[in-house]
Amino acid sequence: MPAPETVYARRIVATPAAIDALAALQASILRVAPDEAIVFGDNPRLVVDDIHAIIEGETGLTSLRFATLEFTAKVRPHIEWELPHARPALAQGLVAAVPCKLWLDDDHVLVICASAVADELAERLR
Amino acid sequence: MFGAHTDAEVVVRHQHTDAVVVGGGSSGSAVAAELIASGRDVVVLDAGEGNEVVAVYAGPLVIVRTPTGIRHVNAREVIIATGAAELQPVCPGNGLRGIYTERAAEVLQGAGVDLGRVVAIGRAPQRVLCTFVPGALVRIEEMEGTDGRVGGVVVAVDDIEQFHACDSVVVVLGLSARDVLNRMATDSSVRAVGAAAERFVLPKCPTGGTVCPCAKVTVEDMEGVWSRGFRELELVKRAALVGTGTCQGGVCLPHVRAFVAERSGEVPEPFTARPAARQLTMAEAGASVHPDPFRRTALHDEHLRLGANMDRFGSWWRPWNYGNHVEEYWAVREAVSLGDVSTLGKMIVTGPDSVELLERLYPTHVADIRPGRSRYVLLLNERGHVFDDGMIVRESDTRFVLTFTSGGAANAEMWVRDWAETWDLDVRIMDRTTSLGAINVTGPLGGELLRRAGVADPPRFLQHRHTDVAGVPCHVMRLSFTGEASWELHHPFDRSVELWRTLLHLGRDLGIKAHGLQALFGLRLEKGHVIVGMDTEMDTTPRRIHHEWAVKMEKPFFLGREALARSAKLPDARRLIALIIEGPAPVEGTPIRSIDSGDVLGHVSSSFLSPLLGKAVMLGWLKRGWSPVEPLMESVVVDGRRAVLAKTPFYDPGGTRARA
Repeated sequence: MPAPETVYARRIVATPAAIDALAALQASILRVAPDEAIVFGDNPRLVVDDIHAIIEGETGLTSLRFATLEFTAKVRPHIEWELPHARPALAQGLVAAVPCKLWLDDDHVLVICASAVADELAERLR
Repeated sequence: MFGAHTDAEVVVRHQHTDAVVVGGGSSGSAVAAELIASGRDVVVLDAGEGNEVVAVYAGPLVIVRTPTGIRHVNAREVIIATGAAELQPVCPGNGLRGIYTERAAEVLQGAGVDLGRVVAIGRAPQRVLCTFVPGALVRIEEMEGTDGRVGGVVVAVDDIEQFHACDSVVVVLGLSARDVLNRMATDSSVRAVGAAAERFVLPKCPTGGTVCPCAKVTVEDMEGVWSRGFRELELVKRAALVGTGTCQGGVCLPHVRAFVAERSGEVPEPFTARPAARQLTMAEAGASVHPDPFRRTALHDEHLRLGANMDRFGSWWRPWNYGNHVEEYWAVREAVSLGDVSTLGKMIVTGPDSVELLERLYPTHVADIRPGRSRYVLLLNERGHVFDDGMIVRESDTRFVLTFTSGGAANAEMWVRDWAETWDLDVRIMDRTTSLGAINVTGPLGGELLRRAGVADPPRFLQHRHTDVAGVPCHVMRLSFTGEASWELHHPFDRSVELWRTLLHLGRDLGIKAHGLQALFGLRLEKGHVIVGMDTEMDTTPRRIHHEWAVKMEKPFFLGREALARSAKLPDARRLIALIIEGPAPVEGTPIRSIDSGDVLGHVSSSFLSPLLGKAVMLGWLKRGWSPVEPLMESVVVDGRRAVLAKTPFYDPGGTRARA
């Protein structure tokens, strides 16, 4: 099992248009809802075109990085839903009944969950 | 048993496909071929090839037992092509050994099994060596001296009964659709084809014998429930339990429908079936099933290190105590204590309509909360019932932090989002429940502890501000649930351990201790503070818990206002009351009884043996007997002892300590 790592990111809630614009500029961004995105990195420069946007540091997420083969062997059996076929891709759903976000890349998969359930997830995948 | 797994671990394979065809016979093969020809991805599941379909769930999701594990197949379409089954006889004696359907007898004879003298009834079988007896089946008789073996069969020809001695009876009574999987499905994307979809002629109405071999239900049982007024198929099923066994009506359904049709004059539609259609081992049934996770705060390991007894509350692991809840209690009352309140619901709301949203959601005034201040609030549903409580913390004209109870946070979040969407308000909402840790610094020396941690002027009661505490950026909120001066320190999740350890270190000479929920529940009970979910019920109104002060009916609108205005005119004798009793604290749920009649008047919702008062204090529900005009009784009986009605708070009624 890969070691769980704290995700250092910014969470942004803003108008969908502002998130659209942000997504076009930022490479390391996970758009988790029409009005919400997670931007990775400690202190990324952010320009959010919404004066009412909520921009908060996020350290309550944990990630587990799996090589694709390892993901297929250890994580995939705990996913009941269909994964996207394109790469890279973001997917969100339950993994072993734990709410997760998956970043599926060509050679690896990042499994991200709330740190509050990270130990539970790791135990279930073990 | 074919395919049964007894190992503790059963492998589950998840699969996604366009279509599943259950049954590889002629109908199933034809449909599969059509689908494949149209370019669809098709999975054919046939029991003969080791794929026993045991359930079809919504989705649709097909559960399959195989010799190597369980398959969960998600499909856009499911086609049931399971064919038809031979009807079983229902008549007196149909439970005897030696009764076979045509197919079963054929297989046994083909395998060389000697069935003795074989008599066939109904229709002459094609491939079974037997003597065919014309006439209607009346009953099957037991052979004398045997333990339940067939000795003969009685048929009626022109109303004249004839007895035919035999060792085995082969019944050829017709077919019924093998449709249990189709009856299990609720999706329109599940359909039956071929014989499984056919409407076969029902058998004659049974007059005696066992109808449902799974649940051992007889015709007499069904007649009994019918005579008691259960006169629909689903009612007969539920009252007599017919069709509720393993096969879910696979054997009995045609006979039960015939029974109801004869009496009601209408042929009822088949009843639904419930998974599983086959007997499963517990390992198979539980394969790949995970319960909802219980969350851990960032301080989980710190609690364990301090010897905490952890328990599950509101979907979180929380410290119940650290070995001695009384010591923890005194640390709060006399010194300073830390509590892990990371579990509280936390949410940021901003936007030009943020005030409007909160004014509509909450029964209190919001617009007059000044930035830097906060207010206790109830959350009501449309019926005016209390379903959560918390704080509104105002940061600026348009930015607020809302807090909710630990158990109610997820529901409250959906509530806020749904209404913001419904009202089409221009707001931004971010849930921060699992993003932030929160530590409650409480006790008369709490201010001193914060000063040592670098907060020269800790916020006053119901004020808040962002500041570093021991080098950790915190949103410091002054409030009180324990009855003592308290500050909640909301901080980044990854800094919790650092903050916790530093505060414990700085407070060593102040007598600092961590406190768990056991002490906290008692501390708040001495203050008469209600815990929503523990001291409230599904239909609790603010009036019933004496919280009218938190509801501003002069507001033109808030959720629940209409219902409260309506119900305010009605008498309501249910109230949350406070009680004091000598001796140990009665357990929650203990009945509250009338001292005169002994009648049950209500029950205890919270109790705590107060170290300060030396008596047990309680909150409890008076379900009836409360009157706004007549003086309330002075005492009741709880746990066989006299309990005196009291007023809350039991402790520091002026609230001077919380505001100190």
